[in-house]
Amino acid sequence: MSEESEALFRGLSDAVVNLEEEKAVELAAEVVKKNIDAYEAVDKGLAHGMDRAGRLFEEDEYFVPELLIAADAMYAGLDVLRPHIKADAASEPGKIVLGVVEGDTHDIGKNLVKIILEAKGFTVFDLGRDVPPGDFVKKAREVGADIIGLSTLMTTTMPGMAEVVENLRAAGLRDRIKVMIGGAPISSAFARRIGADGYSANAVEAGELAARLLAETRAAGARAVAV
Amino acid sequence: MNTDTPKPPFTPKERLLRVLRRETTDRPPVACMGGMMNAAIVEIAGNCPATLPNAHFDPGLMAELALTVAGKTGFENLAVPFCMTVEAEALGIAVDPGSLACEPKIVSEPYQSIPEVPDLDWESLPDAGRIPVVLKAVERLAAAGTDLPIIVSLTGPVSTAASLVNPPAFFKELRKKKEDAHRLLSRISRFLGEYARRAVRAGADVIAVGDPSATGDILGPALFEEFAVPYVRDVVRAAHEEGAPTIVHICGDTDRCRAFWPLMESEAVSVDAMINLAKLKRFLPGIVTMGNLSTYMLEFGTAAKVARRTETLIRDGVDIIAPACGLSTGTKLPVIRAMTDTVRSRRREA
Repeated sequence: MSEESEALFRGLSDAVVNLEEEKAVELAAEVVKKNIDAYEAVDKGLAHGMDRAGRLFEEDEYFVPELLIAADAMYAGLDVLRPHIKADAASEPGKIVLGVVEGDTHDIGKNLVKIILEAKGFTVFDLGRDVPPGDFVKKAREVGADIIGLSTLMTTTMPGMAEVVENLRAAGLRDRIKVMIGGAPISSAFARRIGADGYSANAVEAGELAARLLAETRAAGARAVAV
Repeated sequence: MNTDTPKPPFTPKERLLRVLRRETTDRPPVACMGGMMNAAIVEIAGNCPATLPNAHFDPGLMAELALTVAGKTGFENLAVPFCMTVEAEALGIAVDPGSLACEPKIVSEPYQSIPEVPDLDWESLPDAGRIPVVLKAVERLAAAGTDLPIIVSLTGPVSTAASLVNPPAFFKELRKKKEDAHRLLSRISRFLGEYARRAVRAGADVIAVGDPSATGDILGPALFEEFAVPYVRDVVRAAHEEGAPTIVHICGDTDRCRAFWPLMESEAVSVDAMINLAKLKRFLPGIVTMGNLSTYMLEFGTAAKVARRTETLIRDGVDIIAPACGLSTGTKLPVIRAMTDTVRSRRREA
């Protein structure tokens, strides 16, 4: 990696973490112009910056507005770079179906999770808010998802989360698709009780959890193939 | 012997107002502030002529439902309205009327950016939408002559603004378009202040403000101080001008912002279940504390467990015992009664 590309990656990362959307676009255009690897620029630049913004969020240095503005910078840079990413550069991305459970229209938390997951390279199928339990399994089957992510702010929707796990079991997909949950009223104890695979307290943890669950699924898949 | 100071037993109204003035009482009141935290559960509204969603739209039904809710639950106050969309509707935002089990909610935020919000006729907004319905309901409640205090619950300025402008854009623009954001919030708080003044004139004893979007969890301390504190304070001051005390409810884990709470000038703060109120009292000795029985426990816990938790809150010295957040409409009456009966059967040494 040349010094020049390294400086650009660092610049992209800084632009995201410093909430500078125009700067991110400008540097991304420079990456394209100089024929530097676009995938690397996303991975070591934009996504790296989003990761740093996420850490600041965890440390209570950044809050929702900052994280959203950092994401805007990341997406703006991504729009420039995406057409130039070589098809084989990225490994097969993990697929995750994400949504807020029916009965709840609060989706700030879910939107943050989506941003972090996309920065981690996941393909996110966002069902939005107020989503009936049945829709999660349907969509997951349709797109061949690895993970279903359920978010809620309201205690009233917690039974809906259990229902999704139940639907997945009934559809015979429970071993193939992991379920992760999160949101203010949820705890890891609740996740265990309803048979979900994991709980995260915030968007950054959700990103780490999703990566871990995907690795588990893929390892299990590899074992199954080996047998 | 005849003095001006009421002696125990206090009426519920005297008790709540004395607590808000930090005067001694025989025991804490048990209350439910209404609005987004109303107690019009299906078990009550479904078995009452003043059912929902109808009672959101008719002053007579709204007043009747408020009386029925207080009578059945044992909460020692009357509270209107039963949703948090009255303010949004007055601003011209489309509202889905909801159902018996589901509160009204806004259909979608009409603007994608703060500068898009037109300059509304803010002064006449308190005549718009369902605000007159709420005010007439308050007049009826006042005329009913019960000894229960009337709480009118308002949706705070930040949440009202975030129902006008798509929330992610709104939150970003608190940083990126500060001037526009301040201009919008100051107008909204003027409108809400006028609504609060009229509510007190109609007979409200206490004004409650719930501003779920104005939480440190979302905004962080700097933006909370800049955008939540001054505009909530405007509404609080409007109520004070008319002589009514206030309660401000704050959502979420707000420990990081609690140093700013006294700046809102409200007599009382109501907080979510995760806040340790005993600790909060030590941190903010000048503020009346209200809360914070988990609404998850109220919905899924047993009556015995709720009664025990209520005892703990009383022992911790919580000034007003109340649910911590919005009650699920599926909450069952016997569990709520376990909470209210535990408080009401209590006699604290004066």
